[in-house]
Amino acid sequence: MDTSATAVADSADQPALKKNADTDSGVVIETRNLSKIYRDFWGRKKVHALKSLDIEVRKGEIFGLLGPNGSGKSTTIKLILGLLFPTSGRVLVFDKDATETSKNERIGYLPEESYLYKFLTAEETLDFYGRLFNMSGAERRKKVDDLIKLVGLEKAKHRQLREYSKGMTRRVGLAQALINDPDLILLDEPTTGLDPIGSREMKDLILALRDQGKTVLLCSHQLADVQDVCDRVAILHQGELKELGRVSDLLKVQDVTEVHARGLTDDAKAEIAEVIKRHGGTVDSIDNPTATMEDLFLNIVRESESRPGARRVNTDAGSAEESSK
Amino acid sequence: MTLQPEDFWSFYEWLVRPNAFLESALLQGIVLAVLAILLGLIGGYIYSAARYGPSEGFYAVARVVRDLVRFDLPGTSMRRVLALARLAFKEAIRRKVLFVVGLFVVGLLLAGWYLNPESDDPARLYISFVLTATNYLILALALFISAFSLPADIKSKTIYTIVTKPVRPTEIILGRMLGFVAVGTMMLLPMGVASLIFVTRGLRHTHLEVADVRELSNGRLEGETDYLRGHKHAFSIDPDSDGLGVTEMVRGHRHLVTRNGDGTFSIGQATGALRARIPSYGEVQFYDRQGNKKDAGIDVGNEKVQEGYGSAGLSRLVGLTKGPRRAEHGYVEGGTLGVAEFMFSNVTKDRYPNSIPLDMSIRAYRSFKGDIVTGIRGSITMKHPTKPISSNPIAFIVDEYTVDEKELPLESQGTDGNETRIVNVFDDLVDENGNLMIQIRCLDRSQYLGVTKSGVYLRPGENSFAWNLTKAYLSIWLQMTMVIAFGVMFSTFLSGPVAMVATAVCVILGFSAEQVYDTRHFIDSNIERGGGPIESVVRILKQDAMTTQLDVDALTGKVIKTVDAGIVYALDAIATALPNLPKMVSTAEYAASGFDIFGALLARHAAATLGYCIIAFLVSYFFLKSREIAA
Repeated sequence: MDTSATAVADSADQPALKKNADTDSGVVIETRNLSKIYRDFWGRKKVHALKSLDIEVRKGEIFGLLGPNGSGKSTTIKLILGLLFPTSGRVLVFDKDATETSKNERIGYLPEESYLYKFLTAEETLDFYGRLFNMSGAERRKKVDDLIKLVGLEKAKHRQLREYSKGMTRRVGLAQALINDPDLILLDEPTTGLDPIGSREMKDLILALRDQGKTVLLCSHQLADVQDVCDRVAILHQGELKELGRVSDLLKVQDVTEVHARGLTDDAKAEIAEVIKRHGGTVDSIDNPTATMEDLFLNIVRESESRPGARRVNTDAGSAEESSK
Repeated sequence: MTLQPEDFWSFYEWLVRPNAFLESALLQGIVLAVLAILLGLIGGYIYSAARYGPSEGFYAVARVVRDLVRFDLPGTSMRRVLALARLAFKEAIRRKVLFVVGLFVVGLLLAGWYLNPESDDPARLYISFVLTATNYLILALALFISAFSLPADIKSKTIYTIVTKPVRPTEIILGRMLGFVAVGTMMLLPMGVASLIFVTRGLRHTHLEVADVRELSNGRLEGETDYLRGHKHAFSIDPDSDGLGVTEMVRGHRHLVTRNGDGTFSIGQATGALRARIPSYGEVQFYDRQGNKKDAGIDVGNEKVQEGYGSAGLSRLVGLTKGPRRAEHGYVEGGTLGVAEFMFSNVTKDRYPNSIPLDMSIRAYRSFKGDIVTGIRGSITMKHPTKPISSNPIAFIVDEYTVDEKELPLESQGTDGNETRIVNVFDDLVDENGNLMIQIRCLDRSQYLGVTKSGVYLRPGENSFAWNLTKAYLSIWLQMTMVIAFGVMFSTFLSGPVAMVATAVCVILGFSAEQVYDTRHFIDSNIERGGGPIESVVRILKQDAMTTQLDVDALTGKVIKTVDAGIVYALDAIATALPNLPKMVSTAEYAASGFDIFGALLARHAAATLGYCIIAFLVSYFFLKSREIAA
C-alpha cells in the first residue's frame, strides 16, 4: 500500500526511482499510513495534525518536507524521532520502530530552535552530547575539536551559549547533530536565524553530507533553500500529502523553453524573436536576467573580505558619488 | 529522650521482625513495590486502552515492560548516567544554589545573637538548632531542584536533544537523581562543618576568677567559680594533685582549675559539653508496692499523649496488631517494695575497667510537697541476677531533665545472704552470662520515681561528637535523597509546581503519619478524641470539646463518622506507604541529647531510602517511557 501510494504521487519519476531503490537497497525512513491527532487532557480531539502519510526516504538523498505553518512538517519529524507516538500507522527508521532508542545511534537531529543548555559553553555542550553516545574521552576531544572547526566557532568555544547570537547557537546545534557521524540527519528549519552567508554554508554542508552518502531529511518553509538542495520533496498542507517527487521534475515547466546567451545586440534579439514567431511560438519576454539577491549579497561580502575597508563601487550604476569613504 | 520499643531493634529485627513477619519492613517494602508495579500496569493499560484501543493498549504496556527488562536496564550506560548527572549538577550550580549555603551561614551568625547560652541545656539548644535548620533547608532545596528540573527541560524543549540521542529513560532518571544528590551533598558538607564550628564555638566559655576559696584541714582546697552564663561551678583541688582540679559538672560541662605557683587560679575551657554517649540498655521489670511483678510501672497520668502505633507496618494497617505500646515513664512508689529492676547484659571487665558508669534520666512525681529544697531521694542497688548477693544501696537525689551520671564502684560494702562483706562487681554480682541487675527504688514515702527502659543505662564508652554530628548529617542526607527521588518521580508526569506540591504533600503526610495512625486507632476503638477531619470541623464550628459525644442528630452523626472513617483509612494507607520521616528527623534528637546515633538506626534509614529510591525509579521509568515528550 505504502509503496504504491508513493509511486502514484511520484509517477513521473517512477522508473528512475525503481532503479535507484534496486541498486541502493536502502529505505531509511518509511511511514505507513501515519496519522496523528492531538488531544487535550480529557482525550478530546483538538487537531488532526497528520492524515495517513505515506512517504519513503531513501539512502543518500536529501528529502524536503514543505508546507506552510501548521501543515504537519514538525509533527512528522517528531514522529520519526519518537518524540511523539502515532495515533495510528507506523514509522520505521532503519527498519526499526521509531520509538526504539537504539535507532538514535545513527541519527543526528537539529531542532527547529537550538534547544541547548544555555549555561554550558560550546565545548562543554559538544562534550556532553559526545558522552551521551558513550564515546571515550580521546574520541570526544577529537570529535569536538573537529566539529567546532567545521562550524567555525573556534574563537567562541569557551563562552556560555547564553552569550551567543542566534546564528552561533544554530551552529552549535548543527555540530551536536553531527557528533555521532550519523547516517541520517533530520533538520528542522535548518536555515532560520542564519544570515545569508550562514545559510549558504548550511546548504553547502547539507550537500556535502549527501555526497558523503548520508541521508538528509529537512523541513522548511524557505522555498529557495528547498529548491537549492533537495533531491525530492513532499509538500504537506493541513496534514495531508499534496505532492511528492523530484524537485527538478516538479519545477520543470514543460512548455516553456529557456535560452541563455551572451553578447547579443538588440538586432540579434529581434531576429531571434522573429524566428520564434515563425515557428509558431510566442515570446513571453526577452530580457537581461537579474541575479538573485543572495548572489549579490554573497559577492559583496566576498569582495569586502578580500579588500577590507573599501566600499563596493558599482561600475555601471550612477552611484559613483557614494563610493569610497 | 524517651526511646520507643522499635528504637531498640537491630537492623535484622527491623527488617524481618522474627515471629511477626507481617510487621516487618521487608514485607512492607515488597508489598509497596508490587503495588506500585501493579497500579502502574493497570493505570498504564487503562490510559493506553483509552487512547489506542484495548489490544493496542495491552501491547503498549507490554512493550514498556519488555523494553525495561530487555533493553533499557541492560543497556544503561554509566557514562551516560554520569554525563546527565554532571549536567544536572552544573545546572544547579550555575543557578547558584550554593547561595543557600551562604544563607545558612548568615542564619547561623544571626542565630548566634538569639540563641541563649544561659539556657539550662545550651548544648541541646545549639545542636538541635543547627540540625533542624539544616534539615528543613535541605529538604526544601531538594524539593525545589528535583521537582522543577525535568519539567523545565521539557518545557524549554532542551530534552529533545537528549532523547534523540541513544539515551534511555533509565539513564535520564538516574542521572537526575544522582546529579541532585551530588548537589545536596556539596551543600551539606560545608553546612556540616559550619555547624560543628558554630556549636563548639557557641558553647565555648571559661570563668574568669574564683571566689570563696578555703583550705580544709586536710589541705584540700574548695571554692567556686564566678557566675557566668547563668551558672557557676564548685571545685576542689586535692593536696597531692599538683594544684590541678576539676569543677563539678554543671549544665553538662566542667572546667579544669589550676592553682598557679603564685597562689592565683586559672580556669580552663568548658569540656564535656558535646558528647556522644554509647549506651548499653537493659531490660526493665517493675514491681508494685507488694513486690509483685508488673508489666508496666504505675501510671501517674498525663503520660500517654500519643498512642504511637506506628511501628507495626502492614499488620497494623490491616488491623491485625496494634504494634507495641508507646513507652512512657513507669513509676515506682517510695518507701514500699516497689522497685524498677534493670537487667544489663555483657557486663565485663573489658568494657568497664574502672567503675560501672550508670546514667540516669529519672522523673519524680510528688503526691505531696515534701522536702522541696533537696528533692526526692532514690537508691541504686547492684544485685546478682539470681543469687541473694547485692551491694549496699547507694542513695541519690533525683535530678530531673538531665542525664545524671553516676560511677558505681567495682568494690563496695554489700550483703551476701545474711553476711555483710565487701562485694566485687565482677566476682560476686555478675553472673556467668555477664548479666548484672540494678535496682532503682524511691526512698521517700508516697513519692514516686519514673523510669523508662531508655532512661537508665550503662555507658561502656563514648564516641566523638564530630562523628555523631556526621551521622546526624548522614540521616539528613538520606532524607534529602528520598525527597529527590520522589521529586524526580513526580516531575516525570506532572508539571514543575504540581510535582513540587505533590512531593511536599508526601513529606508532610510522612511527618504527620503518627497522628494519622492515632486517629485511626481512636476511630477503631471508639474513643472520642475529636474524630476524623469532618467531625473535627464540626466540633470546631460548634466549639465542642473533643472528648464529648458528637452533638448532631443520629443520621448525620452516622454519615459523618462513616465518611471520616473512609478518609482516615485512606490517609492511613497512604501514610503507611510513605517513608517514616519523623523517625529520620529524630536522629537529631540523639545528637542533641548527647547520645551516639545507633548504627542499626542509620542502617534502617539507609535501607528504607534505598527501597523508596528503587520504587521511585521504577515508577519514573514507567511514566517517562510512556510519555510523549513533545506533546
